[in-house]
Amino acid sequence: MSTMTLQRSNLWEVTSRTIVYAAIGAALYGVLSLFSFLLPGTSNVSIRPAFALVPFFGYAFGPLVGLFVGFVGNSIGDQINGYGFLTYWNWSLANGLVGLVAGLAPLYIANFVNGPISRRAIGGAIAGVVGSVIGFLFVFSDIWVGGSSFDSLLTTGYIPIVIADVIVSAILIPILVYAWEPVKDQLGR
Amino acid sequence: MNVAPRYLGRGSWLARRDPRVLVVVVVLFIITAIQVWDLRLMAGLLALALLYYRTAGIRFADVKRNWIAAITLLTIVVLVNTVLTGNRLAGIQVHPYFAMPLIGTVVSAESVSYAATQWMRYLAMVAIGFPVAFCIAPADFGVAFARLGVPEKFAVGVDLTFRFLPSLAVEYQQTIDAQRIRGHDPSKKGAGPIARLRSMGPLMTPLTVNAIAGAEDTIDAMDLRGFGTGKRSWLRHLALDRTDWLLILGFLVLAVVTTVAGFTTSISEIWTPPFLIGLAGGTP
Repeated sequence: MSTMTLQRSNLWEVTSRTIVYAAIGAALYGVLSLFSFLLPGTSNVSIRPAFALVPFFGYAFGPLVGLFVGFVGNSIGDQINGYGFLTYWNWSLANGLVGLVAGLAPLYIANFVNGPISRRAIGGAIAGVVGSVIGFLFVFSDIWVGGSSFDSLLTTGYIPIVIADVIVSAILIPILVYAWEPVKDQLGR
Repeated sequence: MNVAPRYLGRGSWLARRDPRVLVVVVVLFIITAIQVWDLRLMAGLLALALLYYRTAGIRFADVKRNWIAAITLLTIVVLVNTVLTGNRLAGIQVHPYFAMPLIGTVVSAESVSYAATQWMRYLAMVAIGFPVAFCIAPADFGVAFARLGVPEKFAVGVDLTFRFLPSLAVEYQQTIDAQRIRGHDPSKKGAGPIARLRSMGPLMTPLTVNAIAGAEDTIDAMDLRGFGTGKRSWLRHLALDRTDWLLILGFLVLAVVTTVAGFTTSISEIWTPPFLIGLAGGTP
């Protein structure tokens, strides 16, 4: 039985497979990011189900794929919506960092990553949560880019987006891992 | 569902520029703008940004919704900053108008000037960024990044991403239709947020897994063509002409001059118009 073991030396390898998976993840994120809804009782916490793809791709295919899916996928979403590929570059990079941190899961939750499928599914959710909490710290770069204050970024930027994306990750990543694992075995990956 | 980026500026003066120019200009302009807090200079930068945007030849009717969304978002951000902030005005003598009820933040001539400068900064960045969305042919992104020195494999990835968009959008619609036939509607409203998220599973899961599994053909095709074994050439050739160089040079000079002025003058400090101070009953 194959497992999702990722050796540390393999984490940074870039092959045609890495590129294609990253491109598919980014395109999926761009397409599905058109779908979002407000968390009831809030005015600015938008739940984006597509966000789960960022940590999932990082967790399943490595940190570079996660970084690409988050950064390019968010930029593509902005491009499709007409805001420009690089206009909100630091928010895109924050998304990318979420994927990167989730992709480093074998370094901090190896027992989940290498366990049975139920533990791998839980590990995916943990990686998504850890990635969201750490990766979105980069939105504080708006202090220099936009001149925003720490307080306003914390209350209207970081906390709402982390809450929303932690919920998304915890629910959708295990579903994606459960669906992907048998297919991966069939494909011999 | 149309996910293809709209090439609205086709044929305009800006769209005729090398796509690298538009990317480099965004970077240089951001470097410039983030150093400026003088309202007068920021007004000048905004005027420059709008002039630049005008050369993109984008009809307002086509992007009205984009502008409304962007201005609404940046106005909310600026208002929240003005109401909650105090950090940026620390150490500055302020001329207060009134204190906000409940939270007690003092609204002053200086905070209004700060908000106006920040609002113009964001607006200028949006005006410079929009042409990247509408004046670069989607097929040119990969080669543009590659020729800007971004790693080849990353650039190929960007190129591939744009190519995957239409087919994935079709699969997205087919998956929704297939699930609806089975009685599942992921866009159905009324359920709680957790239920709505879970209802996305039957849409996202087949779409994602099929897309990954279907990628094998693309991977094989790339491997068979020796992808990654040597330097890659691009079908599309880019060349900077004299106008492109002048445009880049102009924005580069602006960034350098602003950086030097940031250390030697007061452009990185908040400037408050005398009439705003006068409204607070103070003397400039």
